[in-house]
Amino acid sequence: MAALTLEIVTPERRVATLQADEVRAPGVLGGFGIRENHTPFMSQLQAGRLTAVDAGREVHYAIGGGFLQVADNKVMVLADSAEEREEIDVERARRAIAEATERLRTLAAGDESYALEAARVRRAAARLEVAGK
Amino acid sequence: MPSLRDIRRRIGSVKSTQQITKAMKMVAAAKLRRAQEAITKARPYATLLEQSLNRIASRAGTDETAAHPLLDSRPVKKVELVVITSDRGLAGGFNSNVVRRAQRFLVENADTYEEISVSTIGRKGRDSLKARKVVTRKDYTGVHAQLSFEKAHEIAGELSERFLSGEVDAVFLLFNEFKSAIAQVVRLKQFLPVETAPAEGTASVDFLYEPSRSELLADIVPRHLDVQVWRALLDSAASEHGARMTAMEAATKNAAEMIGALSLQYNRARQAYITKELSEIVSGAESLK
Repeated sequence: MAALTLEIVTPERRVATLQADEVRAPGVLGGFGIRENHTPFMSQLQAGRLTAVDAGREVHYAIGGGFLQVADNKVMVLADSAEEREEIDVERARRAIAEATERLRTLAAGDESYALEAARVRRAAARLEVAGK
Repeated sequence: MPSLRDIRRRIGSVKSTQQITKAMKMVAAAKLRRAQEAITKARPYATLLEQSLNRIASRAGTDETAAHPLLDSRPVKKVELVVITSDRGLAGGFNSNVVRRAQRFLVENADTYEEISVSTIGRKGRDSLKARKVVTRKDYTGVHAQLSFEKAHEIAGELSERFLSGEVDAVFLLFNEFKSAIAQVVRLKQFLPVETAPAEGTASVDFLYEPSRSELLADIVPRHLDVQVWRALLDSAASEHGARMTAMEAATKNAAEMIGALSLQYNRARQAYITKELSEIVSGAESLK
């Protein structure tokens, strides 16, 4: 019995609209889960894995940051990027990690681009995690 | 009276022009379809984001959390006008409409504001404004070659910085809004400070916010601005293709009319030539009798 409607959108497209019993998302203060009749809630998301569970079947998405809003059993995810497992370009994610780590080596923690590169690593890592590689 | 060969040559040249306009029309139609799709795809995110923004903003400032600095409206002395046009011409009134509106804005508001700076996105706007002796602050180039959300993010970021540092007190976007393939409307839209509408619906129930309302607001407002620029760019792109399609269709029709008129002239000239030759032959034969 799917109680929740999950909608995932990015600036460029609507990624998915589906039914779910449970949604697990990577909040900036730690992961959290949502089930039926959750209180109205809004959270910032970090790059990571978003999971929708429907009748025991899990669907995973790699999210590149954004935020989530839940009200009236409707879960809306506004992500900077979102990909399902099949859409993930593993090679590209691997390359991105390698390049960004290389650049991080030359930067100090306070540098302007340090946070940017670190975010790239997190996004790519999320993709690899969801792809199961 | 032009000779037969002259007319034939002109028909040929009009025909090849017609082929070009016809091809351009078809290319524009294909691109228009893609641009329209992009607008449709971007809509859900923009709508949901605006809802969230309104919901948070309508509650911000009511308690200890202050509103976001980008929502802050102050006395407007210095404004910036961002003029969005295309990189290419041959699109009917598409670019000139925007440029004309920009000039009107400059004239009408010359006394209202202390300072108006102009920046352009798109080569055509930059060139025509320059020809009209308007000094631009910045010209964003190469935006249309490959429309990307990242580019919109960059532009929105820079405009926000200028607003936050007090260099400008308000920013307006001027672009062609896409209504349909044959209708584009020049639209002047306030970009900064951000205007929010009261949230509708479940306003009585407050949300739980994580990490906090003000932090979420600080996250959402820049995203909202990115989306505003992004939508203006998408609208402008779709309008451009629509305008070009209409203009090229008219040009193709005009060429067809011209070919018709020239063919008639050609046939008449040819008939006159044949008649003349016949009468010469006949009179030659007569004289031999």
